[in-house]
Amino acid sequence: MAWWKKVFRTHTPEEDLDREVAFHIEELTQTNICQGMNPVEARRQAVLEFGGREQVKQELRDLHSSAFLKGVSFNLSAAMRFIRRSPSFAAAVMLTLALGIGANSAVFSAIDAVVLRPLPFPSGDQLVVLYQHDSKNRDGNHFVAPVRLEDWNRMASTFQGISGYYKDDLSETSGPLAERVTEALVAPRFLQVMGTSPLLGRDFTAEEERFGGPDAALISYSFWQRRFQSDPEALGKKLHVGSFSYSIIGIMSASFLFPDQDVDLWTPSAPDAPYAQRRDSTWFTVIGRVKPGVTVANARADLATVQSRLGKQFPIPDADLTVELQPLKEVIVSDVRSSLWLLYGSVSLLLLIACSNIAALLLARTSDRTHELSIRFSLGASRRAVITQLLTEVFVLALAGSLLGLLVAGAATSALHSLSKTLPRAEEISLNWRIVVYSLACAFATTLLCGVFPAVRAARRELARDLAHSSRTQVSTRNPLQWILVGVQVMLAVTLLTGAGLLLRSLQELSRVSPGFDPSHILTFQISGSWGETSDMKNLIRRIDRTLDGLRALPGVEAAATGAGLPGVPSLYQVEFTIDGREDPNRQILADNRTVSAGYFDTMRIPLLAGEGCKQDSTTIDVIVNRSFQERYLNNTPPLGHVLKAAAYNDFSTQGTIRGVAGDAREQGLNTPAVPTVYGCFSAPNPFPNYLVRTRGNPLLMADTIRRSIHELEPGRAVYAMMPLQEHLDDSFFENRLRTILLTLFAVTAVLLACIGLYGTLNYLGRLRQREVGIRLAMGALRGQIAMRFLLQGMRVTLAGCIAGLLLSVAAGRMIAGMLYGISSLDRSTYVAVSLLILTVAAIASLLPAWRAARVEPVQILREE
Amino acid sequence: MAPLEKTDLLQGTLDMLILKIVALGPVHGYGISQRIRQISKKVLQVQQGSLYPALHRLEKRGCLAADWGESENGRQAKFYRLSAKGRRQLATEEATWSRMSEAIALVLGAPRQEA
Repeated sequence: MAWWKKVFRTHTPEEDLDREVAFHIEELTQTNICQGMNPVEARRQAVLEFGGREQVKQELRDLHSSAFLKGVSFNLSAAMRFIRRSPSFAAAVMLTLALGIGANSAVFSAIDAVVLRPLPFPSGDQLVVLYQHDSKNRDGNHFVAPVRLEDWNRMASTFQGISGYYKDDLSETSGPLAERVTEALVAPRFLQVMGTSPLLGRDFTAEEERFGGPDAALISYSFWQRRFQSDPEALGKKLHVGSFSYSIIGIMSASFLFPDQDVDLWTPSAPDAPYAQRRDSTWFTVIGRVKPGVTVANARADLATVQSRLGKQFPIPDADLTVELQPLKEVIVSDVRSSLWLLYGSVSLLLLIACSNIAALLLARTSDRTHELSIRFSLGASRRAVITQLLTEVFVLALAGSLLGLLVAGAATSALHSLSKTLPRAEEISLNWRIVVYSLACAFATTLLCGVFPAVRAARRELARDLAHSSRTQVSTRNPLQWILVGVQVMLAVTLLTGAGLLLRSLQELSRVSPGFDPSHILTFQISGSWGETSDMKNLIRRIDRTLDGLRALPGVEAAATGAGLPGVPSLYQVEFTIDGREDPNRQILADNRTVSAGYFDTMRIPLLAGEGCKQDSTTIDVIVNRSFQERYLNNTPPLGHVLKAAAYNDFSTQGTIRGVAGDAREQGLNTPAVPTVYGCFSAPNPFPNYLVRTRGNPLLMADTIRRSIHELEPGRAVYAMMPLQEHLDDSFFENRLRTILLTLFAVTAVLLACIGLYGTLNYLGRLRQREVGIRLAMGALRGQIAMRFLLQGMRVTLAGCIAGLLLSVAAGRMIAGMLYGISSLDRSTYVAVSLLILTVAAIASLLPAWRAARVEPVQILREE
Repeated sequence: MAPLEKTDLLQGTLDMLILKIVALGPVHGYGISQRIRQISKKVLQVQQGSLYPALHRLEKRGCLAADWGESENGRQAKFYRLSAKGRRQLATEEATWSRMSEAIALVLGAPRQEA
């Protein structure tokens, strides 16, 4: 042997086998020769003694090649053959699963990002939101005074730190054009509590967090990109925001979007500022980080103790306050959680329907393949091998389906991003490996769900006998399994349809509601301002009134007003009032408190039932009440002239005289009946109130004119959030509408799938029973009778599925009861409509196969026999 | 003594025999079959049809290692040697075997009970 062959052993394993066996035979031959045989005989004997040389070699080969891999490759090639042979069937299964798994994965990606994953802060589960509740003031105003925040931070022992923020919309004027920016003013320790540090630069120093210290700002990643094109030189540059000038000391990472993604910069709000010392001026939304291992209950108890100590120290106002806290994640996601789970439940039902549909199709197909399978059995295939082969076929389809499904999910994920206005954490939704794993798991689960029944059934040994008994003599097969699958599909489809029907009915109820105001032709926007302006209220009121006058003077504008909140968009304020100074502890007077300017009722077309609306130059403080307020609290006495006084902590219109009564309007949202409301007449509830402008034509067409006139009036201010009021209202029901649309879509798909299942099964049975039908016809049965029998069989299953589905809906309806408006979850008309719809559609789906089944030519059948 | 048929060889004992032979020193397949025959005084005859699969199985399991080397008469042959794992395997199998054979001997050696 050449030397290099020894160095580089180049034989294949096959050659090694050969050489090993050859050596053995050589040695045997040699031994035989030694025993005196002639060489030819010696070799013959050796080969004989060695025995089946090829068999040994084959056995060794088998030993080395992995049996598992060989099985897989065999099954895979069988599956590919199967797919090639019936491409349309394979495509149908793949597409169904692609949609089913894709939709499921998409919703799962949303649930994963929004509900399941921890917040994108280190140990985000330690973060809690702290509220103060005022026993006198039933509103949801949970803001906290800076001094109290500092007290809590100092006294609470279960917290690593407590900080807070409030937001301000301002105009930034260091660039060529004034730009509206959102500023988060943060209490000390903000970044420590959030557990992050800037991407570039540094956190605030203690100096900067103190009153009178250097003015410093952290900017957001998106602001950095937008304004400085990601130039690191931005550090140290100056920003002119409102009346302040800040130097940029740090840039936050792209993933830090707290309190929300609109925030452009963070600046410190000094707790030792002279204007921050009042215990009843409440600013901050408070965020705390509990120590590791501390539960929410512990922290709550701790803060209750702290607050009761504060109550003793500062009886007014702290004695009336209690502290409530909630995990931050809960606060962020609790609103959408139920919607997301609802969607997830419905896409999962849809996937189940798709699976049972495919299972029924496969059952039909495997019955067609009896012949092929019985040959495999006769050739010695084990039951397990056949089941594995059949499952592999399904798995290949499911895998392809789930890969296609990932495309669907990817598209859906980017669509979900555009919902960031209504869906918290939407920006965190992504197609990551978790989703890929999830959809692969879906592929596995669907394989088992759709594949196991058909595979096990097809692999029943008795089928092998079919080879002997030609299936020709077989008359009819009962297929309870197939019918159960169809029934299950109908049941699930009915459940989905009922859910969608209930949501649709509530939307319909909602659209029937007359809001009491006219939201059409109203353009809303805000004009930047700063809280600093509130130090000179007269000037602020003058500025806003001047702007309103300018707007009213525009051609095409019918009326204009400001409001602290937008009509139809919930406000949190429920305030306790006293009438004419009488305090009646047994009878609390709670009302929604809205601050509106002169012209509000004209602009919103809310009728005035008595007295007059707000006036611009009134020298007194005026309030208008609505009809509900009058009926509930004024006992229908003449309403005008009473003096209403709001309980403490209401910054504006603490006391006013009733000047008018307005009609009830659903200002809290279209789905909430009008509540007793007190309108305080005041055009400047804050430096950037909502402007409401009633235009003659399409409000958006006026947008430019309005922008220009404001620019003339207030060149240094930015106009933002400009959109028609109708859009705001639509937005506030956006989630509602979206989930209704999605659920309807799922339900329609489900019904369609169930119908396809019903159609396919009947069709298949028709084919299977051709012979029987032929014989019946020959014996004198009428075609109509036979078609009727098939039709009735389909309808019986549908009816059973429908009843089961309605029962399931009763249970499922309870889960969505909270999302309904104006109807109960047992709404009879929905249930009736769903049943009728399903039965009609099922009848249509059964007609064709039933008719086709009866159209057999008896002569032809008998001839085949 | 007449040679035992292949089927008479107790299941699993072939592996133990191979390990034992290989434990005596590196040896090729032919050598193994010869030595088993010699040592057992021709009672045990290992069929090549079971020898080679058993060898390869043991090699695959890591009980044996194999190298190509030169045989006594200068031909290339595949030599098997015992790995550490094989040594352990042999020890346990020997122990099990001796306990088993003692137990069987006890049972067979029990005095016949007179009825």
